[in-house]
Amino acid sequence: MSNRYEDVFGPLRKNGGRAFIPYMMLGYPDRKLCLQAIQMMIDAGAHALELGLAFSDPLADGPAIQAAAAATIESGFKTKDALELIADIRNANPSIPITLMCYYNSVLAHGLSQFCSRANGAGVDGLLVVDLPPQEAKPLAEQCKRSGLEQIFIISPLTTEVRMKSISEYAGGFLYVVSRLGITGEEERYDSGLADLISKAKQSMSLPTVVGFGVSSPEQAERMFAIGADGVITGSKIINLMNEVKNGKATLNDLKAFVQSMLSAGLAKLV
Amino acid sequence: MLKTGYYGEFGGVYAPETLMPALEELEAGFLKFKSDLALRSELNETLQKYAGRPTPIYLAENLSRNWGARIILKREDLLHGGAHKTNNAIGQGLLAKSLGKTRLIAETGAGQHGVATAMIGALLGMQTEIYMGEVDIERQHANVLRMKLLGATVHAVKTGGRTLKDAINAAMRDWIATVKETHYLIGTAAGPHPFPEIVKYFQSVIGSESREQMLEDYNTLPDYVIACVGGGSNAIGMFSGFIDDQSVRLIGVEPAGKGVNTNEHGAVLAKGTNGCLHGMMSKVLQDEDGQIHETYSIAAGLDYPSVGPEHAFLQSSARADYTSISDDEAIDAYHEVSRSEGIIPALESSHALAYAKKLAGQQGGKTILVNVSGRGDKDLEQVMNYVK
Repeated sequence: MSNRYEDVFGPLRKNGGRAFIPYMMLGYPDRKLCLQAIQMMIDAGAHALELGLAFSDPLADGPAIQAAAAATIESGFKTKDALELIADIRNANPSIPITLMCYYNSVLAHGLSQFCSRANGAGVDGLLVVDLPPQEAKPLAEQCKRSGLEQIFIISPLTTEVRMKSISEYAGGFLYVVSRLGITGEEERYDSGLADLISKAKQSMSLPTVVGFGVSSPEQAERMFAIGADGVITGSKIINLMNEVKNGKATLNDLKAFVQSMLSAGLAKLV
Repeated sequence: MLKTGYYGEFGGVYAPETLMPALEELEAGFLKFKSDLALRSELNETLQKYAGRPTPIYLAENLSRNWGARIILKREDLLHGGAHKTNNAIGQGLLAKSLGKTRLIAETGAGQHGVATAMIGALLGMQTEIYMGEVDIERQHANVLRMKLLGATVHAVKTGGRTLKDAINAAMRDWIATVKETHYLIGTAAGPHPFPEIVKYFQSVIGSESREQMLEDYNTLPDYVIACVGGGSNAIGMFSGFIDDQSVRLIGVEPAGKGVNTNEHGAVLAKGTNGCLHGMMSKVLQDEDGQIHETYSIAAGLDYPSVGPEHAFLQSSARADYTSISDDEAIDAYHEVSRSEGIIPALESSHALAYAKKLAGQQGGKTILVNVSGRGDKDLEQVMNYVK
């Protein structure tokens, strides 16, 4: 099977285009609305998806994603349901890269081998396990390889070149660059060394660099592209928009308009 | 990282990338600290002159007579601050200073670790912020006032079950954003490597002192050593002194809350399964999807859904045994020890004492060393309002 990440990032990079990757919590605010929103973002032109699996103790996440995770668990939505939801998305969208973002305990609970083969069966391309650094990544890496999954890694403004090297041993798909020290959220507070970090990452790995945390407007996306990012991820802003949709203060069309605005920010459409 | 931080299959470093450089820096700083004579003598001096070490061991004659075994109490309740937490707070405070950090953060359950951190923050002139679950703020109000008096800021944590687990999440989130200038002074022998090893190192004074005192005062080692286990810092500190003495049985006591067969307990080693929480592989109370359960205990300091990785290892290797004590039994011990000995033990420590009573009933005539990890003034209101 071809690698969907390369299929998307390859042509984009060749044409000087940039990727926009929306984040969504699987099953939030409910299955139906979640599926509708994701399909709408794909139809609007999102290049890839980052889909979060709700965990009870998401210690790298800010208030918006924490609350969404708690509500999703409370609603009885399980890992099995999340994978079925992904399968529905995959059936309708054969080519979009899908990254499943989760915490390690969610993987362990089902067994590494079973989790990986089920994720792959549902149509997942890559796993981003937030609390799994490279020194602990080997057991999962073996199972990912067997199931044909990429392992996506995060680098932060504090990641040293030595650490980048150990990350590069396992990293596939793309590199998730966090824009600042801290947790997910809309707050803009980029690290002053971000440009330097992106250029070091590019020297150390051939993977596309995608910046997340606090990138929630076209202007912010432009700034990331100007310093060399190949793409951006927006999460908390989308969750907050979904909260407004749920409360009747916004509609899915507002979400579509947001995705389009992010794509128009100097982002080339997928050829 | 120089070491992997594993105890058998438990431990390790399961932390977001943002924290990894800080954990590497901490490990290096800790190794340097251990071999730095000046820092170590500053630590010892502070423990002695500021915190009041050594704490005595005390033969509780009334309890011994009533319970039918020789009951000896390690008096960590007499330590400055009122609990063993001060050992670790002083150690990590000095370590943080040696790393050039200017700000301390900590989680707290019962509030004892928060108080200890606030004391050390005041002593070392470091900005101190404490994360505490809203439920615990209510049930341990006196300690909240003490922290504030000592100059610390107390943040109420309103997520999840609003207890210790959630306070750790909040402290971790703070640390992820502030690692450059902040040290996370974790209070228990849990979390990602090198924390379990660091906390054990600073708490091992309890065990090494106790062993020496036993030999000096009674010319024998105890048959049993008992300590309560939440995250497990007082227990690991106590056990470490006797771990090589195969004749000494080590027993950790977990909170059974309203019963280990109800949903309201914190008996992780009895009921938990292997999992990953707060940066470590250990035993965890969780559902089949890996979602962490809310726990319950009358003792806020034991109300935690995982346990330090070395305890999981000591259980699996059968070097230590773990048992549990209910709220009712702990409350009874709180009253009984207060009346028999004039010592008010913390509700956490009351779990260890309650088990000592049970064990004495089965094993009459043996020598049982119990760690009274803290004093129980903080629990007065809760105990007085307790209805069986």
